[in-house]
Amino acid sequence: MIPIGNVIEHYVLLASVIFVLGAVGFLVRRNALVQLMSVELMLNAVNLALVAFNRQHSSDMNGQMVSFFVIAVAAAEAAVGLAIVLSFYRLKSSVFSDEADSLRH
Amino acid sequence: MLEALFPSDDFRLLAIIVALPLLGAVVNGVFGKRLGREAATLMGLGTIFLSFCLCVATFFRLAELQEGERAARLVWHGWQWLPLSPYRGGPGDQIWLEFALSVDALSGAMSLVVTGVGFLIHLYSSKYMQEDPGFTRFFCYLNLFIFSMLVLILGDSLPVLFVGWEGVGLCSYLLIGFWYGEEKNAAAGKKAFITNRIGDFGLLVAMGLLMFYVGALDWKGLEAGAENLLQPQQIWPFGSHIPFFDKLGSFGEWVNTPRAVTAATLVGLALFLGCAGKSAQIPLYVWLPDAMAGPTPVSALIHAATMVTAGVYLVCRMSFVFVMSPAAMFTVALIGALTALFAAMIAFAQNDIKKVLAYSTVSQLGYMFLGVGVGAFTAGFFHVVTHAFFKACLFLGAGSVIHAMHARIHDTDASQDMRNMGGLRKYMPYTFWTFAVSWAAIVGFPLTSGFFSKDEILLKAFTSGIASPLPDGKVGIGAREIEIWQWPPWAGYLLYGLGFVTAVCTAFYMTRLFIGIFFGEFRGWKIVKGYKAAHGHDDHHDHGSHHAELGLAIQGPKPHESPWQMWVPLAVLATLAGVGGFLNAHLFHLHPFDSWLEPVFADAAKHVKLVEGAEGYVYPLLGLAVLAFAGGVGAAYYVYVQQRGEPAQRFTEALPGLHRAAEQKFLVDELYEETAIGSVDSLADVAVVADKWVVDGIIARFTAFVVGAAGSVLRFLQNGRVQAYSLSMVVGVALIGWMLLAPRAEARTRVDDEKGVYSVTAAPGLGYSYRWDANGDGEWDTKDYAAANEISLTLEVAQKRTVSFEVKNALGQTAMGEVPLERPKPDRSGAFEPAPAPPDGAPPPDADAEQNAERALKIIENLPGIKQPPAPPASGEPQ
Repeated sequence: MIPIGNVIEHYVLLASVIFVLGAVGFLVRRNALVQLMSVELMLNAVNLALVAFNRQHSSDMNGQMVSFFVIAVAAAEAAVGLAIVLSFYRLKSSVFSDEADSLRH
Repeated sequence: MLEALFPSDDFRLLAIIVALPLLGAVVNGVFGKRLGREAATLMGLGTIFLSFCLCVATFFRLAELQEGERAARLVWHGWQWLPLSPYRGGPGDQIWLEFALSVDALSGAMSLVVTGVGFLIHLYSSKYMQEDPGFTRFFCYLNLFIFSMLVLILGDSLPVLFVGWEGVGLCSYLLIGFWYGEEKNAAAGKKAFITNRIGDFGLLVAMGLLMFYVGALDWKGLEAGAENLLQPQQIWPFGSHIPFFDKLGSFGEWVNTPRAVTAATLVGLALFLGCAGKSAQIPLYVWLPDAMAGPTPVSALIHAATMVTAGVYLVCRMSFVFVMSPAAMFTVALIGALTALFAAMIAFAQNDIKKVLAYSTVSQLGYMFLGVGVGAFTAGFFHVVTHAFFKACLFLGAGSVIHAMHARIHDTDASQDMRNMGGLRKYMPYTFWTFAVSWAAIVGFPLTSGFFSKDEILLKAFTSGIASPLPDGKVGIGAREIEIWQWPPWAGYLLYGLGFVTAVCTAFYMTRLFIGIFFGEFRGWKIVKGYKAAHGHDDHHDHGSHHAELGLAIQGPKPHESPWQMWVPLAVLATLAGVGGFLNAHLFHLHPFDSWLEPVFADAAKHVKLVEGAEGYVYPLLGLAVLAFAGGVGAAYYVYVQQRGEPAQRFTEALPGLHRAAEQKFLVDELYEETAIGSVDSLADVAVVADKWVVDGIIARFTAFVVGAAGSVLRFLQNGRVQAYSLSMVVGVALIGWMLLAPRAEARTRVDDEKGVYSVTAAPGLGYSYRWDANGDGEWDTKDYAAANEISLTLEVAQKRTVSFEVKNALGQTAMGEVPLERPKPDRSGAFEPAPAPPDGAPPPDADAEQNAERALKIIENLPGIKQPPAPPASGEPQ
């Protein structure tokens, strides 16, 4: 096993930065496609953190296993999300999420 | 063969007898519309006929077993149904009530009547109801009724009987309101149902009382434990005394004197309330005349032949309970006699033929109760059987007449009015002759069935009575001893007198009905030879179209005789009504019926006493009975045939009030309307206010308003922007994260004052580490933070210390907490007070009262802002 010392902090820091980028991107962009990409960023940031922590607590493989799980769910999420965006485009000829407000008060 | 298949202790045939009509009801109810009329008829008739055949087989099996005096009973044990005692652990510890069916001589005879007469009436209905759109529904209800009635009869315990009891009540309700399109019919159904509920309440109470006193509800257990009912039970005052009256001197004393009756009387009266509801006795008879709103076969089957006799059956079934209480038996007999007379008087003034028959039924039911009330159970039950024959025949005959009248008169009331009939003798020979035989039976024409059964009841009313169940006439021990109420010596005269007058009345009004329908000239319409009907026969859809022009103003064909499906049952029933009396003709020493039922009533018969020289009364009373028949019929013949109704007219004019009162049924319905129904209505009015303001206003409207207001505020958050939603989510996640991570300095303390050991535990948290100041010197014990979140320390007596600790979270933030500790001084008893002392001065449980007072005082003195209280009270003395 390679000792990694304080290196984990770098990974966690990087994961945090990517996560915040994704979150901000999701909050400020109105294009649904970009928002989906932002969601992917956040999910991957989580994956990164999971793998890094798993490296530190390497007695089992739970972290890596969960990250595979997340990848699978992310794929499903992207498929459903893109389908929704496509349907929405057919309906409103737009991919901007602020136009999807039929359910507002 | 029957014995091999069905042993007498597991007689499954009973289950089949009961299940067949249920099968018919289910098939007709669920698939009836798709099966069509033919199949529905087959199903309805077939199941009842099979059931009847099996009842006959059961009857013979029973006769085989019941040789000599031995009472035979065939039982089918179904399944364990209700626990009667609480479960105490251990198998076999709990007493269960079985769902069991059993048949003995009494229920065997009754089940024959129900399925036999039931089948004939089913056959009749298959033609009578042919044109009705609800044909299959009718047969579904009718089969369900037979099922319920069989459960009632064959049930082996009171609760099983009660299931059938309620079932027949339901079917009665459904069939009275069968043509529910008319308000009147639906109202009559409801009236019957609700009136019966009052009676059912009595039956439920009786079951509870029997459970309490006897501890069993099945026939065997009740028979074994009936002696337990001979104990006094205080019924007044409730509790020890009535609070207000004990200040009223001698009157209050009189009010508060304890009064007791035997438990048997309570049970008997409660049971009889149930019987009075089901069998239409005073005061609950009012539903039966209205029940004639149902189709005529229903009136014949349910409201004349079978269901309404269930009350008499119950008295017979519980005879061993009733005879324990002379008071209850006298009530039964007296109510029966009064009902008989009262209903007969109303029947005088009715013109609707079904109403006349309905009041006649109430009257005859009164006779039955008179019979069983004086202890002549066989005579009363025999009247049930003969009445089933002749009254079913009379009703079916009336139905046949109404069927004929419907050819030209479609209004329900007009087609049943005897003033529109007359002279039908010529046109409807079968109906006439069968009706004539049943008429002869009900008025007591010598040697018909009614003659024998009614004569027997009247004879027994005079000669028979109930003796005290205990020889000395006292029950209870010591101060609780009470005397059992005894029959007065004039009871026989009173009951016989009422019965005799009723017999005369019955003969009179039945003859009036008979003459009104069949003799004289036809008054319905003008008979035209070769008349062609303008529209279909039995066209029920234009009710009342000829209402305005009744009488001879309209023309029509000759009234026609009914088809064979209708007159064959009439003929069978009329034959039975004619010769059935010889089943119990004591006059000719021919009484197989009596011998058949003897074992069932053997227990009860021990308590029945006859007046001295009872044998000598047989012929004089027989003469009187014939006189009653001859007088009633002769008077009616004189009034309505010889004088063509002249005397009746004069009588009406001379006493208009009396006639109107009888015509309007002595206003009993109106009395109930004003009193019972009126008070319930007032109660409902009060409840409406509560419902409107409390339930609707506060509970419903106000809460809805609060929710609505909250909704209209929160609606503004619902702006449809996905970014806004996700932002709120991010904010929420951040808040939760901060809450989880922020250091919180909270601690729990475990105190042991006696040993002086105190331990402080800081609350755990995500990524927390701690440092402590356990010795209270203001310096941290260790500079570094550690994982240990608990310390323990020992204090001397009266020592105080403040323990501080600091929490650091993963991000380096810190929080500090302090825990003050003090070990109190021991008090005088050597026990330690809890530290700190509770402010309300609640004493520890081991200290005595003096110390409590002192300590509480000290605490009050020490509290800031409280003035010096007055001197402490002297120990233990009240002020």
